[in-house]
Amino acid sequence: MADSGATSAPKPSSSVKLVLLGEAAVGKSSLVMRFVNNDFQENKEPTIGAAFLTQKCNLPTRTIKFEIWDTAGQERFASLAPMYYRNAQAALVVYDITKASSLQKAQHWVAELQRQASPGIVIALVGNKFDLASANPASDTSTGGDDADATATAEEEEDVDGESDARKVPTKTAKAYADEEALLFFETSAKTGLNVAEVFTAIANAIPETSLKGPRGVGGQTNLGRQEDSARVNLTGANVQGPKEGCAC
Amino acid sequence: MESLDGTDWDVLIVGTGLSQSLLATALSRSGKKILHIDKNDYYGGSEAAFSLQEAEGWSRSVAKDGSSSTTFANVSIHQPEGSETDLTKLLSSRAYSLSLSPQLIYTRSRILPILVSSKVHRQLEFLAVGAWWVYTPGNSAEKLSGNSSQSRSGTAVGHGALNKVPSGREDIFAAQDLDMKAKRSLIKFLRFIGEYEEQGEVWEAHSQAPFSTFLSEQFRIPVALHASLLALTLSSLDADHTTTEFALPRIARHLRSIGSLGPGFGSVIPKWGGLSEVCQVGCRAGAVGGAVYVLGNGLAGPVIDEHPSDGATTETATSSDHLMVVLKDGESVKTRWIAGSRTPQPTEPQICSKSITIVSSSIEALFPPIAEGAPKPAGAVVFFPSGSLVPPDEEDAAPTLSSVYVFVHSSDTGECPANQSILYASVALAGDKAVNLLDKAVQSLLSSVNAQPQPAILWSLRYEQRSQLTQRSQLTQRQENLASTRTASLDQQILVFPPTSLDLAFDDSVLDQVKGVWRTIVGDEGGDFMVFEDREGAGADDEGGEL
Ligand SMILES: Nc1nc2c(ncn2[C@@H]2O[C@H](COP(=O)(O)OP(=O)(O)O)[C@@H](O)[C@H]2O)c(=O)[nH]1
Ligand SMILES: [Mg+2]
Repeated sequence: MADSGATSAPKPSSSVKLVLLGEAAVGKSSLVMRFVNNDFQENKEPTIGAAFLTQKCNLPTRTIKFEIWDTAGQERFASLAPMYYRNAQAALVVYDITKASSLQKAQHWVAELQRQASPGIVIALVGNKFDLASANPASDTSTGGDDADATATAEEEEDVDGESDARKVPTKTAKAYADEEALLFFETSAKTGLNVAEVFTAIANAIPETSLKGPRGVGGQTNLGRQEDSARVNLTGANVQGPKEGCAC
Repeated sequence: MESLDGTDWDVLIVGTGLSQSLLATALSRSGKKILHIDKNDYYGGSEAAFSLQEAEGWSRSVAKDGSSSTTFANVSIHQPEGSETDLTKLLSSRAYSLSLSPQLIYTRSRILPILVSSKVHRQLEFLAVGAWWVYTPGNSAEKLSGNSSQSRSGTAVGHGALNKVPSGREDIFAAQDLDMKAKRSLIKFLRFIGEYEEQGEVWEAHSQAPFSTFLSEQFRIPVALHASLLALTLSSLDADHTTTEFALPRIARHLRSIGSLGPGFGSVIPKWGGLSEVCQVGCRAGAVGGAVYVLGNGLAGPVIDEHPSDGATTETATSSDHLMVVLKDGESVKTRWIAGSRTPQPTEPQICSKSITIVSSSIEALFPPIAEGAPKPAGAVVFFPSGSLVPPDEEDAAPTLSSVYVFVHSSDTGECPANQSILYASVALAGDKAVNLLDKAVQSLLSSVNAQPQPAILWSLRYEQRSQLTQRSQLTQRQENLASTRTASLDQQILVFPPTSLDLAFDDSVLDQVKGVWRTIVGDEGGDFMVFEDREGAGADDEGGEL
């Protein structure tokens, strides 16, 4: 991703709260693991409850710090997700391209977010496990540089010879739905890394700058000349450029 | 995890109000199996925050529950008929997050270091409360202006005026309309309060005396300045009824807090809807620790001891003792401990009326910059002393309790869109008189800030809230626990928090109660209260990888 080394110039930095939603085993935790640690574990034990991770994403003009909430299980009670999507600025709704029912579940989540979450929340629909679709020349590249949609749709026409192709959700179907609901759309593989960074970058780019400063993306905030977090009180007493905690540099 | 009754739970936490949510965090690394339920379909209990639509739903449900919900009563929503343009300014329901708990948190409150040591502060943002203002009614404004300092706003004839409470020595010296004698007496008082504990001889004999008498007799502070000092106590009583013993520690707390998290301010508010955000974050920490969350499901009946015959005679519960409770959806849950909070009784004497008002202006005049290097203020306090809204001769009953406090939150809190603000008003009375005072306070505030055009009210909510008079110890609470039938052993396994305090500043005793319940559950081996390491991957800015 762009200029991760250029840390000397202080770019404006903001936090973005992001929540992952989707049916169990579609690969939510694996996507986060790929994004945060660039790692993949074949048979990771499932998340219980929820997990919280952070990762920075450097854009040319600003740095976005993702605060990622990965939810899991407890579907029956439908009580966990609301405490994560409250005040979230972004949501990643994941399905598994080899499991048709998981797209339906994803659509339920999208509807719930549109009904309950902050207005202006950026939603990305993500079809994961792209590596399981057949004839994927891209499947062995990690963080492919290709344009996401182009890669995905190109593959889809060819998924004819059955054997290794486990795809159950055509790209077209999901893409059409995503367009209709104005969602970002990607097909990814947490296993190979395909498109994983791209999803987060696209989300970072889609977050309007005003919503980073103002309340809830309502916009119209005119904090002219004010620094982004000028209202935030620092609880840990490191207001002034004191030594960073736990950092030897 | 699809069924609740197949599990032997260690702890059933009932309700997601502040105490229970902090308990969930405290227990989140204990390895205990925790089921956390709430009868409401939202988080936060008495500390919840609502969108407009949720507020309407809440209002209906309080009306429907009637006497069974004794914490809240008489909820009503008003949308004044204004001009077309004003009405269109009210944005979509979810553009608002209106807090039932806009309490100030003093920067010296122990809750802040606890949020830091438990690492949940990473998901919270705190904003500074800036200026404090005292209202003086129209005609007497000039006479009573002695306590004003540099930034005076709204001295228009016919309107009342808001005078800024001097927030320290510099302010007092800078005040132009204070004579030297008054300045000296104030400075002397501030010096005393800085170490009042060591100067028992000055005040102990007067501890039960009215604060106003103490100020006049011990420090010769002009009566016109009493309201400014009384404001800092957040007392619901007027200066003639607030005791010196009550006032001194609270003023000391106020003054000592200033500067401890940054120059010029002494209290903070959480972003996104007051303490509701702390509840949410507390529950999230619980979920990360593996607790199961169920909204819309509360206790349906009394708690049953699994071993009733033993229970009646055994003093201490053994670790095999489980309680059985039936939930509203019919499932029965087996648990070792139950932690919940007591609902105030209809006879409970402590009651207050509150209003939440959405206003079509950012009311910048109330938010002057705090100090060099300080954060931008997102909150302001406006105090309406007893008698300032309704002339004393028009008051039917004693004016003792008619002080009104209004907390003004800017859109930086995330509670409303830009160019609007929220007024949280409260008075320690019930009924029509309270409604009248709250409305007058809001009107007087809006007309005295000199904003053009005058800010309009877009929407408002009124309600009454009940609590208990004094925070009794948690042990005696057990006698009035969640259940109606109890045995000795049951009492030890049912841990009860008192109802949410009506104090306008966060009450640290909540932390002692949570700690007490936590300690009972985890025992002596439980480690330090709320001291945790960051979980893997959830670290500070400088940890964790970059792309
Ligand atoms: N082939 C393949 N397997 C994946 C991919 N992502 C996740 N998995 C596997 O799918 C299973 C469930 O993944 P997990 O991340 O735990 O799903 P979650 O329940 O949504 O968090 C695990 O066995 C993963 O190894 C992927 O992109 N390709
Ligand atoms: Mg998972």
